[in-house]
Amino acid sequence: MRALVAAAIGLAAALALVLTVTAVGAPQGETSPKPLLTTVPGPKK
Amino acid sequence: MRRKASLVLLAFAVFLVALAPLLRWYAFPRLAKIPAGQYQEMVLEAKPATLLEYSSMKAKEVEKVTIVQTLKGNVEESEKIERSAGRDVVVWDSLSYVQGPDGKMVSAIPERYIFDAHSQAPVHATGEMVDGDRVRREGIEFKWPFLTEKRDYEYFDAQTRTSAPIHYKGERTFRGMDVYYFEQTIPWTKVKYPKKMPMPGIDATKLEQQTGTTRWYTTRRMFWVDPVTGAPVNGEEIHQEELRGGSLLGGRDKVTAFAGHVKMREDYIDSTVELVRTNRVAVLMLTSYLPWGFLLLGGSLFALALYLEARDRRPGDSAENTTLRPEPVGT
Repeated sequence: MRALVAAAIGLAAALALVLTVTAVGAPQGETSPKPLLTTVPGPKK
Repeated sequence: MRRKASLVLLAFAVFLVALAPLLRWYAFPRLAKIPAGQYQEMVLEAKPATLLEYSSMKAKEVEKVTIVQTLKGNVEESEKIERSAGRDVVVWDSLSYVQGPDGKMVSAIPERYIFDAHSQAPVHATGEMVDGDRVRREGIEFKWPFLTEKRDYEYFDAQTRTSAPIHYKGERTFRGMDVYYFEQTIPWTKVKYPKKMPMPGIDATKLEQQTGTTRWYTTRRMFWVDPVTGAPVNGEEIHQEELRGGSLLGGRDKVTAFAGHVKMREDYIDSTVELVRTNRVAVLMLTSYLPWGFLLLGGSLFALALYLEARDRRPGDSAENTTLRPEPVGT
């Protein structure tokens, strides 16, 4: 019985962690202030 | 005490073993997405190239034609579309700016590409366009989906405004990376004039109607794609454009407007490969490294928990068993 409770705790923790991380998700970011280029950029460093 | 330790180990083992498939099949499809605010520039060159000189309407061989392609994620627009679409959306405003050897503009074609941030499936919303013309894209453009498959994809061609299959042609090695090679050939097709051309005072939208001269195009495009991220690490095009018939050519059947083998500039190949290598590790963490690592660690902890439990229950080890041992008969 105690083993079952331990397994259930482990499973619940895994579910909670994954659901939280996916609910938060990755940040959207912002639109870059850089323009659409109409000149040829120099060599990339 | 040992019993307690084995129960804690069991909880951790279940936690890790459950986390492995959840991470791969639940978290990964939701977390892996193109950032809405991405900004990327690319420089491609055709060296040498054939280019139409509009003042004489004659094709000339030139040393180099450069194409500067910029992709800019429009976060405000993507958030607006997400509210009605109910899913993560990316809006890319792009510009393909073609520059001749004299540094002057040859053409400039803007696009708005709207797609699902996770699957790269096109999303149809107001504003989707090529050079100001409303389009309805099918398939992909610029990038393949995460975990690219060994199959043909529908690829959108901005010049013809249509989609056609881009064929999977096998695995290749590019700069030490295992990539998938794709190829698409667009046969000679009549296409629209770009709205921005180096012909001052002439309305490109009425050029065909006024002169009867039509613009034709064919291309063979090649992509070397990292299958983990779906990002191309190299791209080339064997591109040809012609003007045919009408009063603009002064009696000639056709004239080459542009011809050249377009390749990515070396420094941009290097930076793209470097960027893709970094992103590849992030994707592999969610699809492979962490799930397998958690599974192995969880399995080990489970085995350890069982071992401790078994030792705890072994007869002869506990004080209870010692006191209850029967005495020999006849003493």
